[in-house]
Amino acid sequence: MSRSSRRLVSVLAAATVVSALAACGGSDDGGGGSSSGGANEASAPGITEDTIKLGAHFPLTGVAAPGYSEIPTGLKAYFDYVNDNGGVYDRKVDYIYRDDAYNPSNTSTVVNQLVLEDEVFAIVGGLGTPTHSAVVDFLNAEGVPDLFVASGSLTWGEDPETNPYTFGWQTDYESEGKIIGQYIAENFPDAKVGLFLQDDDFGENGEKGIREYVDDQIVGAERYTPGNTNVGPQIAALQAAGADFVVGFNVPSYTALSQLTALQLGYKPQWFYSNVGSDPQLVGSLLNRFSQGKVTGSALLAGAYTTDYLPTVDEPDNPWVQKFQEIWDKYGEEGELTNYRLYGMSMAYTTVQALQAAGQNPTRDDLVEAIEQVGGDWKGPVLAPFRYSEKSHMGTSGMSISQLTPEGSAKEIQGVMTTDIGDAKIKEFDGKPTTPTENGIPDEEPYK
Amino acid sequence: MSYFVNVTLTGLTQGMIYAAFALALVLIWRSTRIVNFAQGSMAAATTFIALALVQAGWSYWLALVVALASGFVLGAIIERVIIRPVEGGNELNAVIVALGLFVALQAGIAIVFGSSFQSFPAPFGLEGFSVGDRRIALTPNGIYIIGAVIVTMLLLVALFRFTRVGLAMRASAFSQEVSRLLGVKVGGMLTLGWGLAAVVGSLAGLLIAGGGFVYPAYMDSLIVFGFVAAIIGGLDSPVGAIVGGLILGLALSYISGYAPRGSSLVTISALVILMVVLLVRPGGLFSSTTARRA
Repeated sequence: MSRSSRRLVSVLAAATVVSALAACGGSDDGGGGSSSGGANEASAPGITEDTIKLGAHFPLTGVAAPGYSEIPTGLKAYFDYVNDNGGVYDRKVDYIYRDDAYNPSNTSTVVNQLVLEDEVFAIVGGLGTPTHSAVVDFLNAEGVPDLFVASGSLTWGEDPETNPYTFGWQTDYESEGKIIGQYIAENFPDAKVGLFLQDDDFGENGEKGIREYVDDQIVGAERYTPGNTNVGPQIAALQAAGADFVVGFNVPSYTALSQLTALQLGYKPQWFYSNVGSDPQLVGSLLNRFSQGKVTGSALLAGAYTTDYLPTVDEPDNPWVQKFQEIWDKYGEEGELTNYRLYGMSMAYTTVQALQAAGQNPTRDDLVEAIEQVGGDWKGPVLAPFRYSEKSHMGTSGMSISQLTPEGSAKEIQGVMTTDIGDAKIKEFDGKPTTPTENGIPDEEPYK
Repeated sequence: MSYFVNVTLTGLTQGMIYAAFALALVLIWRSTRIVNFAQGSMAAATTFIALALVQAGWSYWLALVVALASGFVLGAIIERVIIRPVEGGNELNAVIVALGLFVALQAGIAIVFGSSFQSFPAPFGLEGFSVGDRRIALTPNGIYIIGAVIVTMLLLVALFRFTRVGLAMRASAFSQEVSRLLGVKVGGMLTLGWGLAAVVGSLAGLLIAGGGFVYPAYMDSLIVFGFVAAIIGGLDSPVGAIVGGLILGLALSYISGYAPRGSSLVTISALVILMVVLLVRPGGLFSSTTARRA
């Protein structure tokens, strides 16, 4: 596969680290961090007096790279911003991310490298259900905090006894499926629902949630295997089953493929793409160039429904978006602030909250305990609170529903609803929207 | 019924794409007796050249011509510079060099063109034809793919069967020493063979890319199917490559469309089909001789 391009990325990443370290050595203490008096110590692997090393695996190349490869750039930009403004307890965050090309065997290799060679303090934002599943046992056996897996699988949070070091972050797919299912049952009671599912936990969890509400409306469930780019038989089967409302639990490139195949077959159901696969800018740009402009991507997706658990770049008035835009303009690499980068920056925000709460000289276990004890109270860009406790490592639980416009933006049509896995009810979220602190850096107290 | 038609048509178009790739492998095998594992990366490289030109505002057809020409040059250079030193030695050496080339080219593409996912334009429409009030899974672009592959196959058959150059190429691949004694410029023939194979490979790359997405490793999944198609067909028969591609494309489409969780069975089914074919006819369906070592 793309072994050598991964090498290249590793080399680049290593070079980045070296330059970041050099920058640290040269700079004086920026001040402004929530320092609590005592001296900084190398209290755990990956923590020195003036640095905290964090690692992650992302698909920087390959079929899952579009969109997802932007997430670590968002995380990095936010950490750089924090580093320039005092860091976390005067420590700079070194964020090392490596390419696994969304291939689980690569994930094992790069995570081994991160834990054993780079000696990171924690993994933050490792992306993907099949990929991260390959390393979750290893990380828990080694006692490496495995924060905020970038995937909504239930595996990360439902059973803290099995995976005590792993935490979810985004809304899990089952809760998302429930909220989608309820919306369809209430607003489209006569729709014949078809499901287009990735053939792994992602699709399974989503299907389970949806079926709790519209089981009797579902006329077909088709599964695709990531990597197999021919989805013709699957889309044709949904068409043959007479589905007029298709819900997709798929990654963005398969949103584009499903749209192309539907175009080919003249199949025009109402589409509802789950949060993961719906980014209209990305899918639109993938579809735009086909037929040399005869088909425009955002127009193909117009009218499709999707869900949100974070503010989006379509909301320039949202204080979080404004703050992140400001930071991105100064610390981001080339390119616009996208929803994927916003996701990364929001996750970095939660990470800084966790590091602050863990205390000045934390061990790895302190970090985990801090999230369990106070993580449920954190205010941040996510629309609804996290569910963190000793019993649950699930991330946020709420989602709003929006509809895509022909211009490629999203319009909210249902406010935030919250729920949980299993038979928890769906409730309207009654909390107030949060706003960032003045400088956009959280200020959490140590948990002990 | 219309579902069956759509699954069949999807398989047909997909099979033709496998066939295109298999044709390039057959060509290089017939003209140099090397299985070229770098074929996929070579095709990806020229496809990215075409994409860069299209993005710069060139027409698809002009970009196609430039891509095919650069494919020829790339193939010829690779043969002269990289393959020549290991030619005629241990068979394994050439295979290993080709594998290394596969990885190196892919990395090279990522460096030059970036590793991001991009859409590649199709020269014809992507909406299926209408039959009655239904649309079927056959697009104008699909017709173009099928047509281009069949024309390429006919040209190859004609080249090998009816021209002196084709005969000389086959001879020099089969026995360098004897050919040389008979006055064939073996070196030139090998270079020509690699160049032509790279042209066909480039065409396959472009056909596969059209109306789809490309990134440096986009040929990876097709390489496997292309090899299986070529081997089913017997590795040295252009007609066999087409038949092998079609058998594979249709079989995989039916499995994907009718077996429960079919999409996840596609890759393993390709290997099962390959094994069955090799057990029944070890030389492939269209092999001309049985004693020849592959």
